[in-house]
Amino acid sequence: MKAPTDRGALLLGAYVYAVLAFIIVPLVIVIPMSFSQNDYLAFPPTGFTLKWYAEYFDSRQWRAATWLSVQVAFLTAICASLIGTAATYAMVRGRSRLVSLFQILLIGPIIVPHIALAVGLYLFFQTIGLSGTVPGFVLAHTVLTLPFVVFTMAAALGKVDANLESAAMSCGATRLQAFRFVTLPLVLPSLASGALFAFIISFDEPVVSFFLSGIRQKTLPRRMFEDIEQNLTPVIPAIATLLIVLSILILLGGHALRSRSKTQSSAG
Amino acid sequence: MKGGSRSRFWHSDGRRLSGLSTVLLLVPFFAVIAFVFVYPIAQLLVISVAEPHPTLGNYARVVDNPVHVRVLMRTLWTAALVTALSVVLGFPVAYYMSRVKGVRAALVAVCVILPLWSSVLVRTAAWSFLFQRNGLINSALMALGLTSQPFKLLYTQSAVVIAMTHVLLPFMILPIYGSLRSIPNDYVRAAAVLGATRLRTFLEVILPLSLSGVVSGSLLVFLTALGFFITPALLGSPQEMMISTLVSKQIREVLDWPFAAALVGVLTVFVTVLALVFSKTLRFDRLMGSAS
Amino acid sequence: MKPISTTSATAGASVRISRLEKRFGPVVAVDGVDLDIAAGEFIALLGPSGSGKTTILMSVAGFEFPTSGAIEVDSEDLTYVPSNRRNLGMVFQNYTLFPHMTILDNVAFPLKMRGLPRAEGHARAEAALATVRLAGYGHRRPNELSGGQQQRVALARAIVYQPRVLLMDEPLSALDKNLREDMQLEIKRLHAELGITVIFVTHDQGEALTMADRIAVLKDGRIQQLGPARELYERPANLFTAGFIGEMNFVDVMVKSIGATIAVALPWGETWQLPAAAAVDAMEPAQAAVLAVRPERLELGAGAAGQVGDRQAVEGQVIKVTLSDIVYAGSALLLIGRLPDGTEIRARLPGASRLGSLAAGDVASFTVPAEAALLYRRSAR
Repeated sequence: MKAPTDRGALLLGAYVYAVLAFIIVPLVIVIPMSFSQNDYLAFPPTGFTLKWYAEYFDSRQWRAATWLSVQVAFLTAICASLIGTAATYAMVRGRSRLVSLFQILLIGPIIVPHIALAVGLYLFFQTIGLSGTVPGFVLAHTVLTLPFVVFTMAAALGKVDANLESAAMSCGATRLQAFRFVTLPLVLPSLASGALFAFIISFDEPVVSFFLSGIRQKTLPRRMFEDIEQNLTPVIPAIATLLIVLSILILLGGHALRSRSKTQSSAG
Repeated sequence: MKGGSRSRFWHSDGRRLSGLSTVLLLVPFFAVIAFVFVYPIAQLLVISVAEPHPTLGNYARVVDNPVHVRVLMRTLWTAALVTALSVVLGFPVAYYMSRVKGVRAALVAVCVILPLWSSVLVRTAAWSFLFQRNGLINSALMALGLTSQPFKLLYTQSAVVIAMTHVLLPFMILPIYGSLRSIPNDYVRAAAVLGATRLRTFLEVILPLSLSGVVSGSLLVFLTALGFFITPALLGSPQEMMISTLVSKQIREVLDWPFAAALVGVLTVFVTVLALVFSKTLRFDRLMGSAS
Repeated sequence: MKPISTTSATAGASVRISRLEKRFGPVVAVDGVDLDIAAGEFIALLGPSGSGKTTILMSVAGFEFPTSGAIEVDSEDLTYVPSNRRNLGMVFQNYTLFPHMTILDNVAFPLKMRGLPRAEGHARAEAALATVRLAGYGHRRPNELSGGQQQRVALARAIVYQPRVLLMDEPLSALDKNLREDMQLEIKRLHAELGITVIFVTHDQGEALTMADRIAVLKDGRIQQLGPARELYERPANLFTAGFIGEMNFVDVMVKSIGATIAVALPWGETWQLPAAAAVDAMEPAQAAVLAVRPERLELGAGAAGQVGDRQAVEGQVIKVTLSDIVYAGSALLLIGRLPDGTEIRARLPGASRLGSLAAGDVASFTVPAEAALLYRRSAR
């Protein structure tokens, strides 16, 4: 049966697609601009060239910034996954009166404006010498990404029947073995997707990086911020295009992992 | 091995972790949060009332200076405007998203979720291209003959509002979508069977039931917008600062730490109190669940 | 085809539960339970939800540490030993197979945890699968099996390492009725074959009565009665058990005198002489009491009782029942009516019984055989 299309539905559709265009066009527009031969960012783009991509890959500064961001994001993904999974597991299976404190501290990094945390960390890290260092960035980004890992893992662990671990232990497994052989394989896709999203959040994080970056140690978002603020060269659309492609890849990866975890949990 | 309660701390009883393992597993989390989140912010709050000497003077400076009051009002007004625009733009999308299936549903979902996971800098940069003197918007307006002179769009408050709405819109759409999805289809059918027109069904069944999503999304957008930094810093006018850009200026140019700390204090306390008051409504897990 | 038993010489272990107590905050889940289970015995813990039966099982399994008391298996104190070091087999309510492993890996899991080489583990797992008649299913995944098959795999996993005690927590409650009866027989057969001690938790009395050597009836964390099925059914030790196991008619009476027989006054004025053996609780004159009779023990008609006249006290008593419903249920015929004082009473006759012209609204006579009446103290409630 097909729903009758009336004027109301048409109007709603038109409005919705207009809003979607508003959302997606600014993102898509950078792609043709990244291939434009113009030296200044005029519209419409003219010609076709890869020189802006070449400039990005040839520039030592851009490469250094990218490499720093990759390192930070990679380590952040690992730290946040380990710490977040351990804490979530303790909350789901443990006995503790710390639950409400845990929940308040967890939403803290989401609620409190990043500018506040950035300024606080700027001051604190300078006094202890972590400013502009990889460990400093990783610590800061771990705090920012922990809530996302915890929400993902809480959903995943909540779906694993606690009796499965009991069953494993009745079979002679220790608690650790029960986790290692039963629970971990079942939540692994969620863990991987949580880590993936921690990676992209850290990799794209602009505010804390803005304040923590030193003269020499600059993350990619910080370098981009300066470029946009000062001269807005056509390298930016090229980098933006690369970042959009990265986001798409990570979303696809996360989607694949989630559908895997769905087929697995439906087996249980 | 004597008492049940004592042994429970040291040994797992098979269903729940032992108290000891629970604590050990939580230590890294609490350590990181305490060290990298609670302490730095507490330190700022202390500075705001303790330097140069124990005083509330730093806070007095925030409210005494009309320039600073205007920054606060502009920040509130901008956040409110962005929230209102997000509701107007976001609700129909969320409603549509909850009704369609198949390819169209996937298309809408991609349009909503992809921006959420792409860099704020990319999105802000994109708007700065669009708002250029010779950017897409001005080129289009002049090609259509609507104007002979390019408008000044970049470095205005309008640019900030438009770009922030663009960045925060997914945070509005997803909670509303979540609340709409949780309305059983039976309600809609029941209303139809009872003779309600589609408009009446929408107004009397769907709208009230989706209100929790609207409130939750609005809070999320409003709270985030209050402390937003990147977009105002890159697209806004230096004459029309928001609280975050003012903080940045105090630290990077004026080096007035106590005053910057007081500004951060005002922002943090305001946001935290709002979040605590509405803690039941703010469903972060729902946002995450549909976003990831 | 006779299944090959891998566990030929395994004997069960004895289990002793003494003064077991478990509190959850102010709630007393188990309140001083003593239970001695002989090696190789099949014990059912039967009770309504909240009776403490599962908590007792979990304490034996090691998933719950008691507040006080002790649990010994073959005289070894296991009270606070972690569950993974107890070497007990356990079957859970909801299959609890590991969804990411094959059936064979599931069954071999306990052997893997005990450090057995993979090949040997798989060989013994295959044999255990054959024991539960699932030979050849090893390569499948749990979600490819029916509920009954999954529970049999869980059973195989619980016995593969030859534990001496098998714990079962309502293992059949997730299955539908036919499957449940098949599985009851399957478990009985395994019990006989392996000689293993079984502790079986259920809220289904039919299950407990058909399967167990002895049944412990639990209520509010205490054992109400412990005994074989026949004893429980035919002579419930107290009013709770009488009402909980099977169907029972209750009539409030007053004890008038106690001699060779017990004289009780019925609500509608008659006085009956009951054999002294009818009193389950100790009786005294002027004691408020409850007369209990199973519906299937009532006989239609004044029959034998009428003929023997004054020897009624020994042979039985006659009651007049105003029938309100006659329900034909295949193997049985259920008659529901009221006694002269309004007390509801049920009679269950064989399905093939001839009722003549009896219909709802008629008054029918039933005989209560003397040996069918039980007398309990009426507790002041």
